[in-house]
Amino acid sequence: MTLPPLIPLAGAAANIAVVLLAAPLFEGLLRKLTARIQSRQGPPLLQPYFDLLKLLGKEDIESGETPRMQRFAVYLALATVLTVACLVPMGFPAPLDAVGDAILLIYLLTLAGICTLLAGLAAGSTFSVLGISREMMSMMLLEPLLAVALVTGAVHTRSFRLDTLLNGSVYASGGVPWSGLILLGVLLLSFQGFVQRVPFDIAEAETELMEGPLMEYSGPKLALFKYAQMSKLVVYSSLAVGLFIPWGSELGFPWAWLLFWGKVLAFVLLVTLVAATHARYRIDQAIRYFATLLAAALGALLLASCGL
Amino acid sequence: MLTLTPEQSVVAAIALCLAGAPATWLVSRHRAAAGGLALAFTAATAVLVLEAVGKVLGGGAGQPAEFLRLPALGFALRIHVDGLSAWFLLLAAAIAVPAMAYSIPYMRHYPNYSVARYYPFFLLFLAAMYGLVTTTDMMWFFFIFWQMMTLAGYGLIRFENRVPANLRAAWKFLVMMQIACALTMGGAELLAATGAAAGGNALKYDFNAVSSHVPALLQSRPHLAAAAFGLFLAGFGIKLGMWPFGQVWLPDAHPAAPSPVSAMLSGVMIKTGVYGIMRYFLWLVPSDALAAYPMRAWGAVIAGLGTVTLLAGTLQALRQEQTKRLLAFHSIGQVGYILLGIGACLALLPAPTPFGTALATLAFLGALFHTLNHGLFKSLLFLNAGSMLWASGTQDLNKLGGLMRFMPLTAATTLVASFSISGVPLFNGFASKWSLYVATLQAGDAAPYLVFCGVAAILTSVLTLASFIKFSGATLFTRTSPLVLQQARHPQHAPRPDHTPQAATRHETGRPGRLSLEVPWTMQWPQAVLAGACVLLGVAPALGFDAMHRVLAASHTGAGTLLAQTAPVQAGIAKGLNALNGAAWFVPAALLPTLALLLLAAYALSRLGGSARRTDESWYCGYAREADRHRYAAHGFYGEIKRYVRWIGGSPDANPHPRPPPARTRPPDAGAAANLEP
Repeated sequence: MTLPPLIPLAGAAANIAVVLLAAPLFEGLLRKLTARIQSRQGPPLLQPYFDLLKLLGKEDIESGETPRMQRFAVYLALATVLTVACLVPMGFPAPLDAVGDAILLIYLLTLAGICTLLAGLAAGSTFSVLGISREMMSMMLLEPLLAVALVTGAVHTRSFRLDTLLNGSVYASGGVPWSGLILLGVLLLSFQGFVQRVPFDIAEAETELMEGPLMEYSGPKLALFKYAQMSKLVVYSSLAVGLFIPWGSELGFPWAWLLFWGKVLAFVLLVTLVAATHARYRIDQAIRYFATLLAAALGALLLASCGL
Repeated sequence: MLTLTPEQSVVAAIALCLAGAPATWLVSRHRAAAGGLALAFTAATAVLVLEAVGKVLGGGAGQPAEFLRLPALGFALRIHVDGLSAWFLLLAAAIAVPAMAYSIPYMRHYPNYSVARYYPFFLLFLAAMYGLVTTTDMMWFFFIFWQMMTLAGYGLIRFENRVPANLRAAWKFLVMMQIACALTMGGAELLAATGAAAGGNALKYDFNAVSSHVPALLQSRPHLAAAAFGLFLAGFGIKLGMWPFGQVWLPDAHPAAPSPVSAMLSGVMIKTGVYGIMRYFLWLVPSDALAAYPMRAWGAVIAGLGTVTLLAGTLQALRQEQTKRLLAFHSIGQVGYILLGIGACLALLPAPTPFGTALATLAFLGALFHTLNHGLFKSLLFLNAGSMLWASGTQDLNKLGGLMRFMPLTAATTLVASFSISGVPLFNGFASKWSLYVATLQAGDAAPYLVFCGVAAILTSVLTLASFIKFSGATLFTRTSPLVLQQARHPQHAPRPDHTPQAATRHETGRPGRLSLEVPWTMQWPQAVLAGACVLLGVAPALGFDAMHRVLAASHTGAGTLLAQTAPVQAGIAKGLNALNGAAWFVPAALLPTLALLLLAAYALSRLGGSARRTDESWYCGYAREADRHRYAAHGFYGEIKRYVRWIGGSPDANPHPRPPPARTRPPDAGAAANLEP
């Protein structure tokens, strides 16, 4: 099916707009809820919007080692996350799925991670570099984890197309979808790592590394980074919804769309609940944890290649 | 105007190199003249070779041409430029010219070493590689070209011969290459000996002759044939750095050689091993006799070895703390991808379905494309490492840092190469890895193990990224190291007659941003050209796939015929790559504008508030400036991961022999203690 080029473009614009509009709201919800769980009052729901606006106008102090690279890394971080948003279905089929397949998606998500790494490296302070070293170590295990989930879908469906894969493809085996169920468990257990929230916010670790890679960032640069991080939560949630709980996407426009955002909200609530009730892991604990999950995911892939 | 056939062009190129070697030797007293002459010869051979490549890829391959026949000995110089040879010729010529151009200024780095031992060897080395990928003689001319390459390479690796470690590295290289030569020739002898009776006057070691009686051998004595193929795999495996052989010589030889030679070693020379494996495993057995050829088994062996090679090489690279040694381990890792592609191709080709054949072709295209891509980005990385060595006088990653503001062009090209090797989309490494992944991950029906090889390759890709985050981070970014700052203020490691950082004396106390350590433009443009090629092939991978389809169309023997019958990838600049009838696709022409537009939007958003920029010092928790001991150097990266993979081997030290422990001295930043005062 070939659509006229205007429809994908409009869809992409819609996805980007919704992500940009909704991401701070989810963040506000997350903060409010965390505070309530911890018996605090918490900021107003709209506080993240105000924070972003305020930061955009504040003085931009360039205190890092290579400012030009720092600027580029920040712009690229947001641009990459928003590009990924165009490749993921959000209540209607992925608008720009004609741009690339699942392999491109994996590498674009990696690129989004690289931006944070470059930002930390370019800032150059010991704390930043320590932070990015930790972040890279988690990425080494998390990226293959996501890849295994997508590959399992590809093994089932014989395709790398995003519209096929991000439609519950992990369950597309005959009979009881053992591999898909294992992967669903693995995803739920590792999701905090993908969105870099407690207990896996090891790279930023405010209390010991003072935001790690973001330490030397202020003003609009910090705003863009925060924005990228908030959007990442939405994008990864959408990805998880597409891969693992796609049901209802065949309904008509308003219902499928509403149902989709309800599912994303559920993911955000899950993240909040886990984050508010856990303490941060040490990096070596996190590595062992993710390695165990990776082994389980590979087991699922083995089942998938046996047709289960 | 004189028109040459492709074969004549190649022979002329080899002859030019052979003439150039004594010529440059004669004028070697004048270093610049010798360099200019060598570059002229290299460029002339490149023109000849590229013309031949253009003819073959444009109009198909001709017949083998015979130039020199020695009937008494039973061998002849027969040259055949088919599509596969053309691809490797293209690689050799494309990298030799920038590497040679880079050599001329780089040789000033070695004022106490005569260039009489450099340019002549370089030209012989190049001639040998041209010959090795075009000769059809599997025995004697193979031997001659192999020895030319080995001995010239030996001379180049031990160029800096007052450093004992380099002599040891060169010696290892020599021994390993001789073993590889013996193994490969043994394999050829096994195959050829049984066909000797076929004809008295025939050239029994000729590729076509061997090819014509391999089917009978596969039928009657399969174990003998298997032994011959095993010898080929071991011999060429040593050359291309396959695990476990690569670890023996490659990580020592690459850092020992001068940087442009490292670029040639890693970019081109080890690819002659790839050529050998492709040629002997895929082109030797005629397409009508493939039934008796255990391709599936060989595919499993090669894909398995490739997977081990890529994992082992990259994990070992993660532990390295020397620039060129790190890159050398990555050469092993990246060659693993190529081997995996060849193995997958062999394993999938016997599949009876057209889908299987299409996957096999896709895997082969991935391997072939990665060969070119790896040549481009890895030789660029070695030139980058050479520039850093030139500027700072060290290969030690722990002593570098913050080079980006002192050498912007080197930094930018290093980033391009790092992104390419890590497989970031829109750089060339992504396109070749993409087709390898699609081929292996879809291979579940014919060879389920390939899915796991593919996942291992994805894992390796992120490990490669980690390693290059460390490499580029420790050299270009992070805090400026005392050594770099000292070099920028008082360049003193090697006399550099034409290169006096102008700012160095005037702005001694100024901000380090004013100082420059950038290499002269004669060393900048080779890096820029290679980086441009990486970006071009990344943004328009269709160029590469189009050329590779022509490569297959111009190679008409053995399994190559089967590969040429399918076109698994529809490629176009605008429509990108579309594999397996729409099962996988990648459209860089759509991704690039999307990303660029959003990049602009992000920039606009950041300027929306009209905030003012101000430069200030970093905040170090109240301490004025950290001491060098607190700088986060390469050694500290990924400590926890390195602890888990220590068993993998790959010592970061080239000389594990016992040495006196280094004295525990304070780092050379004056007044470190004073700086620590709040």
